[in-house]
Amino acid sequence: MANGTPLKLGWLYPTLMSTYGDRGNLTCLQRRAEWRGIAVEVVALDRDSPAEAFAQVDVIVGGGAQDRQQELVMRDLQGEKGAGLKAALDGGTPGVFTCGSPQLLGHYYEPGVGQRIDGLGVLDLVSVHPGPDADRCIGNMVLKITASRLAADLQKMLGRVPYVIGFENHGGRTKLQTAEPFAQVIKGYGNNGEDGTEGAFQGNAIATYSHGPLLPKNPFLADWMLKKALERQRQEEVNLSPLDDAWADQGRVMMLNRLGVQESA
Amino acid sequence: MVDRIRLGLAIWVARVVTALVRSLGLGAASVLPGSVARRIQPQALRLLARQYGQGVVLVAGTNGKTTTSLLLRSMFEDHGFSVTHNATGANLVNGLTAALLADANWWGRIDRDVAILEVDENVLRLVLPEIRPRVLLALNLFRDQLDRYGEVDTIARRWREAIAPLENATVVLNGDDPTLSEFGQQLEKQWEDLARVQYFGLNEPDRYLEEIPHAVDSIYCPRCGTSLNYRGVYLSHLGDYQCPSCGFAKSKPRLNSADWPQILIGLYNKYNTLAAAATAQLFGVEETTLRGSIREFKAAFGRAEELTVEGTPVRILLSKNPVGTNETLRAIVELSQDRPHGATVLVVLNDRIPDGTDVSWIWDADTEKLAQSAGTIVVSGDRLYDMALRLTYSQPQPGAGARIIPEADLDQAIKQALAAVPAGETLYIVPTYSAMLEVRQILTGRGIL
Ligand SMILES: [Zn+2]
Repeated sequence: MANGTPLKLGWLYPTLMSTYGDRGNLTCLQRRAEWRGIAVEVVALDRDSPAEAFAQVDVIVGGGAQDRQQELVMRDLQGEKGAGLKAALDGGTPGVFTCGSPQLLGHYYEPGVGQRIDGLGVLDLVSVHPGPDADRCIGNMVLKITASRLAADLQKMLGRVPYVIGFENHGGRTKLQTAEPFAQVIKGYGNNGEDGTEGAFQGNAIATYSHGPLLPKNPFLADWMLKKALERQRQEEVNLSPLDDAWADQGRVMMLNRLGVQESA
Repeated sequence: MVDRIRLGLAIWVARVVTALVRSLGLGAASVLPGSVARRIQPQALRLLARQYGQGVVLVAGTNGKTTTSLLLRSMFEDHGFSVTHNATGANLVNGLTAALLADANWWGRIDRDVAILEVDENVLRLVLPEIRPRVLLALNLFRDQLDRYGEVDTIARRWREAIAPLENATVVLNGDDPTLSEFGQQLEKQWEDLARVQYFGLNEPDRYLEEIPHAVDSIYCPRCGTSLNYRGVYLSHLGDYQCPSCGFAKSKPRLNSADWPQILIGLYNKYNTLAAAATAQLFGVEETTLRGSIREFKAAFGRAEELTVEGTPVRILLSKNPVGTNETLRAIVELSQDRPHGATVLVVLNDRIPDGTDVSWIWDADTEKLAQSAGTIVVSGDRLYDMALRLTYSQPQPGAGARIIPEADLDQAIKQALAAVPAGETLYIVPTYSAMLEVRQILTGRGIL
């Protein structure tokens, strides 16, 4: 059924970084490809993987980690592995990074307890946890995509740019420096609860606090990533066949109604 | 003396409030009296808790608190102790106070032997200094309702800080849980008294899981961060492990699990059984009594409850986190493996406070086997589409496997699920906590229960 060179889906540290159902993003990409007859291969990028593997995937998925696990990941990413990952992202490999993983793509993360952890510096942002007793940012969220290139692509694919729904649960607060925000917060806290921005968008990578997980709830983002990855692989325009997303749509409508959000055209 | 008078007054007022709440039909008054009493006598919890001649047992952990407490209660009662137990599941500070108040006389005197109090993970550190338990029983620490509690590591650290200063407490810990085992080993060093740190756990390699499930929390050494080597896993991250780097290993359990029978079904309940038995032994309960209590035990409300609805057998299996859900789904798939129509299941997913407001955990549960089986799965609850998507994404092609039917109206969903059960088969209802209450209400409202 499936044909062509398999699309390699790289999964960052499957056991260390999978806190809030984050593997749902990977499952979503995998199934949406398989359902369309596109061959995929899941590649775990972890402590036992060779450094080359990090640069040789078509899509990268990263999830959240507890503080201690995050430290282990950062230690492992020092050197060649980190450089490979950075090269892949700088080169335009599509990626989705939720929860804790945007923090490690920034310049540094200061945990609630313990030492500052240096990040990869792929994204121009910093994250600070205000301390173990500070309130966490928790709840359902609604986002309006503002990243200009992503919004333009979605407009072309769908004829509109739908709101993104999700759930956030983070202690750390992120401040963007020159990084472009992924979205504007319609409901929720976002990067820091203050400036109304959420996540970051760079190259073809989406970084966001929105888990839930992100992609099954917002399948248009999954399809955008698959399309990007296939086009990079095949060097030609790719149009994905449509899938039945009625349940995802109904779930979105239900959540927007519940939060009293009117989706503007 | 003034303390005593004020406690008496607190009790009078709390009793009046209880009577009012009940007579106005406002509820079971499981929390409010505690809140009122603590206003009048802030020391109420301390003054009540210290009256138990045999002391207080605090029961903490993500899964199994109620089942274990009920079993421990039977063991104590079979031994001849009179017992206070916060059976309503109100396990925050006011609920605990209310539970003790209910067994006090008008002068604030309690003449029961022992109290068993289930305690919410995050409240434990607050009540430890007030209650000063004789035993703290810690069952496990799973990823559950993280939105309320923060991270597993943080919880363990807070527990350790709160228990360490208590000079007469004993801890009974799940030695198969690396975080709790490390917790105990730290206390052994700090207290320099091995008798005060006891463990329970499994010692039955023939019951290892074939592979480590996805929903595992801490398979890294809590001491040095290296990946733990597991000789085998019993469930989730509970198993026989050792750290290749610093030598940290599982603590030796007090009882040899292979020699002990268990209550109900499933490895979960083996742990619960051992936890209760190890604790009861510390109070001098004889082994023959313990075994008798285990034999006679009946399931608690909502947990593996069995009913008959319009002639169809129904099992309600409370399900609130990935680990518990995996165990539940595994049991359902096994029980209906050889049936031509597969299993008929009603899953009800709510996201209210008692359920945890974050439903993303369903993606950490291993739903593939059930979704790919031949059965019918009706889905309902506040977040039915989240669950419907989770199940669909478990299938190699949408529709290849179980029939998935989302139905927002719970009443309708129950009707449809009942109608889908082939003759002679069982309906499995898998609800979150608040959903379980709703399901029961509907079944009762129809006069079915
Ligand atoms: Zn170690």
